Amino acid sequence: MTGSAVLNTVAIGDIQAPHLEYGQLGPMLLVFGVAVLGVLVEALVGRGWRQFIQVPLTFAGLAGAFVWILVLGVKDKPLHVAAEGAVGVDAPTLFLQGTILVLALVSLLLIADRQNGAFTPQASALPGSDAEREGIASGTVQSELYPLMLFAVGGMMLFTAANDLLTMFVALEVMSLPLYIMCGLARRRRLLSQEAAVKYFLLGAFSSAFFLYGTALLYGYAGSVRLSDIATATGNNAGSEPLLLAGIALLSVGLLFKLGAVPFQAWKPDVYQGAPTPVTALMASCTLVAAVGATLRVFYVALENMSWDWRPMMWGVAILTMLVGAIIAITQTDLKRMLAYSSIAHAGFLLTGVIATSQAGLSGTLFYLAAYGFTTIGAFAVITMVRDAGGEAGHLSRWAGLGKRSPVVAGVFAFFLLAFAGIPLTSGFTGKFAVFKAAIDGGATPLVVVGVISSAIAAFFYLRVIVVMFFSEPAADGPAVVTTIPTAAAVALGATVTVVLGVLPQPMLDVAGQAASHLFVR
Amino acid sequence: MTTLDVVFVLLGVVAVGAAVLVVTTRQLVHAALWLVVSFGALAGGYLMLTAEFVAWVQVLIYVGAVVVLLLFGIMLTRAPIGRSADLDSGNRWAALAVALATAGVLVTVLVRGFRTAYAPLDVAGQGAAKPLGESVFRIWVLPFEVLSVLLLAALVGAIVLSRREI
Repeated sequence: MTGSAVLNTVAIGDIQAPHLEYGQLGPMLLVFGVAVLGVLVEALVGRGWRQFIQVPLTFAGLAGAFVWILVLGVKDKPLHVAAEGAVGVDAPTLFLQGTILVLALVSLLLIADRQNGAFTPQASALPGSDAEREGIASGTVQSELYPLMLFAVGGMMLFTAANDLLTMFVALEVMSLPLYIMCGLARRRRLLSQEAAVKYFLLGAFSSAFFLYGTALLYGYAGSVRLSDIATATGNNAGSEPLLLAGIALLSVGLLFKLGAVPFQAWKPDVYQGAPTPVTALMASCTLVAAVGATLRVFYVALENMSWDWRPMMWGVAILTMLVGAIIAITQTDLKRMLAYSSIAHAGFLLTGVIATSQAGLSGTLFYLAAYGFTTIGAFAVITMVRDAGGEAGHLSRWAGLGKRSPVVAGVFAFFLLAFAGIPLTSGFTGKFAVFKAAIDGGATPLVVVGVISSAIAAFFYLRVIVVMFFSEPAADGPAVVTTIPTAAAVALGATVTVVLGVLPQPMLDVAGQAASHLFVR
Repeated sequence: MTTLDVVFVLLGVVAVGAAVLVVTTRQLVHAALWLVVSFGALAGGYLMLTAEFVAWVQVLIYVGAVVVLLLFGIMLTRAPIGRSADLDSGNRWAALAVALATAGVLVTVLVRGFRTAYAPLDVAGQGAAKPLGESVFRIWVLPFEVLSVLLLAALVGAIVLSRREI
């Protein structure tokens, strides 16, 4: 064969072009596209202008993607497998992606708040060095933050939509990598922030390796990484069982790590505490939605025939997660750490919805995610408002008597805490009710008993914060409450949604139920 | 046992032996170079299984890029070059136990999973660039393109973390 003949065999006409449904991939492509635009802005626009261009651009990108999702949800019959089967665009996915986008928009209010000063002006400056002081004096910000955030959000959207394990792995990396970097950008307590970033990076890389190995073993079992093919193979009992079981175990490690379920929760308190609070809000809401979304898809689609095998494992994990989260939270004195343990406990409540493996379980979990996301962003937003001379006053003792000096802020925070505890007339109650009811219908009553007990334990430490805020004397040099418009807007949005979903949950429950009615596309 | 089997087993022995030397040698640079031998033997193994494209990728990325990165890392962090006594960690026995346990689990799973699995090696062009390229740019085109986004994000992140002048 001559050289030209070899070339001819791979002429352009030979390669069949992939079929991409751009309309259905639109929201993700838009977010990634705007992120790339943001990178160009960083490269081409002067330093003084970047922030003023990046913030509206990021807002427009996220809002545009959300509108696109609304259009897809209303107009289309959303039951498609797109991009040669790599992505499933179905009703639950659209719900999850929409939730991620709205929560990201609210988090962006916190991130974009410049007066808040949560981010370091120069990440490379050594803590305590002259370079750092110069950076603070110059008042600049690292506006690369916005493209990084968009990359992370795009990754989260793809993570919930991925229809095969390989796409899911790529999405996992795209969503995690920017978050690792953003964790290390806190302005105050730089060393704590950098430690959080390194810890998150190392443990995250480790868990990704578990995920990948599980994927490889499941490929060995089913001969494909597509979720539906794995489901078919498990249905036919083809392949060898050790590969399947080891694959499920390793894959679950990767997913449960992102969820922060016990025993893979060790990173959560450190990272939530060290990261800049706006980034913590983003992680506590959007990342959790994405992680639960992917977990739902894997367990509902790929492993639906294996539920007898994975249920006992997930029972154990859910029980441990709820109890450990609630019990360790009692001993915490730092508010961000306490909310991190609370988030671990909530991951356990969400897992009860996953274990139900029913339509009700799916819709309950979807509702819970939306409700919890708004409440948690609101709570972290309040934490950014209460400030000492050295930044946020994170220690619980500093919050003593806040209710006497700033009754509104303390009242709103108390309300968020009550929502976390699941008191009726808050969204937390409706969400817990929905997942617990689904779990009872699914035959997991003991799990619900544990859930209720750990909610009671959790209520103890939420009430303790409320008692400290309202029934103790304020210190003379107590922290000041700094109110800025974007942060106040985020708090107000969080509080409004928490009230509305608590008092009038039916419309949202209907949307979640409708989204869940088709289950996942294969 | 054919010649192919013998060569394959020998390559495996070289890969494992070099990997053991990576963690036991007392010189940091030697560890990186032994890693080249281990990765190279692995690439040879891929070649024996007619996965020629994967073998070349292994050479380019692992033997080439990853090891060069390691060497640069050693150079830039001013790590001691030459024999150093403090390379052995106090945890090495615990690490050995964990490594052996992990290897035991993985070998058991793989042996039990693939003991009876045979793939024909005489089908020409199975592991060549063409079928792989076709599937990457058709079926896997979305994850492939998203990977470029990941690289861009990593690049931006590296700049954020290291740039001195804003």
